[in-house]
Amino acid sequence: MLSFIVRRLLSGAVLLFVITTVAYALLYVGGGDIARRILGQNATQEAVAAKAAELGLDRPLWEQYGGWLSQAVTGDLGRSWFSGQLVSVGVSSRLAVTLSIVIGAVLIAAVIAVVLGVLAAVRGGVVDRIVQFISVLGFAIPGFLIALGLVLVFAINLRLFKATGYVPITTDVGGWIASVTLPVIALAIGAIASVTQQVRGSVVDALSRDYVRTLRSRGLGSGRVVYKHVLRNAGGPALAILAVQFVGLLGGAVIVEQIFALPGLGQLAVQSTTNGDIPIVMGLVLATAFIVVIVNLLIDLAQAALNPKVRLS
Amino acid sequence: MFRWKATAAAVAVSALALTGCAGPGGGGTGGSGSTTLTLGAITSPTTFDPAGSEWGNRAPFYQAVFDTLLLATPEGTIEPFLATDWSYNDDNTVLTLTIRDDVTFSDDTELNADVVAQNLLRFKDGTSPDAGYFDGVQSVEAPDATTVVITLGAPDPAFLNYLTRDPGLVASPASFDSPDIATDPIGSGPYILDTAATVTGTSYSYTKNPDYWNPDVQHYDNLVINVLADATASLNAIKAGEANGVKLANNDNLGEVEGAGWTVNANELDFQGLLLLDRSGTVEPALADVRVRQALNYAFDREGLLQALQAGNGTVTTQVFPETSEAFDPELDDYYTYDPEKAKELLAEAGYADGLVLQQPSSALLGANTYTLIEQQLNDVGIQVEYTDPGNNFIADLLAPKFPTSFMALEQNPDWQLIQFMIAPGAVFNPYKAEDPVIDQLMTDIQFGDEATQAEKAKELNRYLVEQAWFAPFYRVQGSFATDANTTVEVLPTNAFPAIYDFQPKG
Repeated sequence: MLSFIVRRLLSGAVLLFVITTVAYALLYVGGGDIARRILGQNATQEAVAAKAAELGLDRPLWEQYGGWLSQAVTGDLGRSWFSGQLVSVGVSSRLAVTLSIVIGAVLIAAVIAVVLGVLAAVRGGVVDRIVQFISVLGFAIPGFLIALGLVLVFAINLRLFKATGYVPITTDVGGWIASVTLPVIALAIGAIASVTQQVRGSVVDALSRDYVRTLRSRGLGSGRVVYKHVLRNAGGPALAILAVQFVGLLGGAVIVEQIFALPGLGQLAVQSTTNGDIPIVMGLVLATAFIVVIVNLLIDLAQAALNPKVRLS
Repeated sequence: MFRWKATAAAVAVSALALTGCAGPGGGGTGGSGSTTLTLGAITSPTTFDPAGSEWGNRAPFYQAVFDTLLLATPEGTIEPFLATDWSYNDDNTVLTLTIRDDVTFSDDTELNADVVAQNLLRFKDGTSPDAGYFDGVQSVEAPDATTVVITLGAPDPAFLNYLTRDPGLVASPASFDSPDIATDPIGSGPYILDTAATVTGTSYSYTKNPDYWNPDVQHYDNLVINVLADATASLNAIKAGEANGVKLANNDNLGEVEGAGWTVNANELDFQGLLLLDRSGTVEPALADVRVRQALNYAFDREGLLQALQAGNGTVTTQVFPETSEAFDPELDDYYTYDPEKAKELLAEAGYADGLVLQQPSSALLGANTYTLIEQQLNDVGIQVEYTDPGNNFIADLLAPKFPTSFMALEQNPDWQLIQFMIAPGAVFNPYKAEDPVIDQLMTDIQFGDEATQAEKAKELNRYLVEQAWFAPFYRVQGSFATDANTTVEVLPTNAFPAIYDFQPKG
């Protein structure tokens, strides 16, 4: 298993290199007049030219990328061109926010989706139809509408949670919960819908297998068959779709972050990409690519733990 | 194993929901006897280094930690601040400032004239977009501990006003070489930035400076400025009572804001309209003819545009100078009335009876409706518009210059500052460097004249610019700053965001 982990980490490093190279090239091509954007409309052309030279924007692509890469491998990701903040500080402070809501949403989605999916598959009939209807509804209602509805009811009218802003967990646990609950729910609903469908399908599939009939014929109770045997087999595809949801939510959280004015990665990514803040965008690309590599590795390990038939080869 | 995981997750979810229900609902002031002022801004500072600073909507972030040399008041006057006194020599080229001797920075360094001089020179050589304000500064000296002497190459009637803004910010000299100067400011201002509680770009927390020299303007123990870039988030923060004052990005939801029990404090700082940048006809020869420029002014139904685009929140105008300026003339607000027939006549006289085609940039940020309405009204007088969307390079392309005309919102500064911003041959928003001997003479008269002459000539200049149709302004837009029932504020006539000192708890 160790060699498997080492190989996956090495291929992850290659992936990081390829992704950052492509990202840098794309930013270079679509960059436009970054110095003007930094200095704003009041700045003279001379000031703009001086700023461009200071940032090295007048150098060729390979030279700029080489400079960034040689610093990045030493752990120095530089400073934001717009805020002057260290990229490592800017990205990590926002990572905590986005991970708070994405991990929360994925955990809630996992629990609720498994319950609903198993219920629908095992009970069938009316229960199945109701669960399927709820899933379709979850798919159909856009996340931002759910977010706006939640804000209106729970933050503005009932004043139970915060409508805007983020409170770090280290500052105030209650405040943190008040600030992340609504975004977590808004994000979780879409994920619940898709994971429920996956779990339901996998469980239905597993229930029709021969080994289930054999287990039942040996007199095992229905609950034991489902939770001890069926779920182990159905869990693999569910975990895979959960991983996809996790990665999707990392990027998809941007609208929810915008509505709740949360200082997350998505908001930073949109701002920095629009501005052409290359150091920050590169820091974000590195961080998200790294998370994706790690999440995929963890999911593979979890799959193996769940089902011994899955070999780590 | 799986059951254990599911159970643990279920417990976590229940705990989250239960504790969340007992969580705080938010709110601006209060909490253990201390007072907190929570503000919403629409943009964050790019850096805390005064040499790269900006003003306008970014002013409160700087004002909280730094003092300026002079103070701009809501009444429109300039008052002493770090500088207690100032005087010009006879030809207005040497400005002498007297600096307070009882001020210390938050790192306990003392303020003196030499520190002020270093700050002024750093700004001149810095990367602030406003560094050009100091182009005329030839030298800055500190002959003694409380005297600063600034020598200008030529009189600059806006110079004192500059010292109330970003060029007048003073930082501790110990921070100049710090690698963290962009994020960890050290000033002498009423508050100190709490870097641990601050998320750059989103939320800035400040605590009261216990050793502040001017406690009369410290009305709160803590200050939080949240960046609410999204209009929906601003409105939600207002409705949920999560701030005490919020700068509104537009006037779309004023009814809802007032419905939530908030007060809308208004001023007029920007005009919106068509900039006739290529008035010298460099790339669009038609614009060199004053009749074409006048025709463009007659083509617009300003009242209709104001209603359609700003729900009537503003004042129609045909002049670029603001109501607070010496140059302002109320008659020039309706110098050009909506008269499409007259516009067509003028175009025909100028030899464009068959119309002409104008190239213009468009930007989603300024609203799609705006461009549609402009195009319709110009089409009605026979002028076709070809739009190009330069995306992020809108301003860069405008100033390159790549377009002869453009719709734009521009800040209306005090007279000389406005002239340097959009009228002088070297002005940023005169990218084709258009010149006119009458305008040149009037500018010289303003620059070298006494106060009475400056006011008289500014009025003359304003009228001449309107008659010559250098611009086609539509209206002055209402700037709106909302405050909750517990807070009062006085807006500034010259800045988008009120001064930090002017917020007070009500009652």
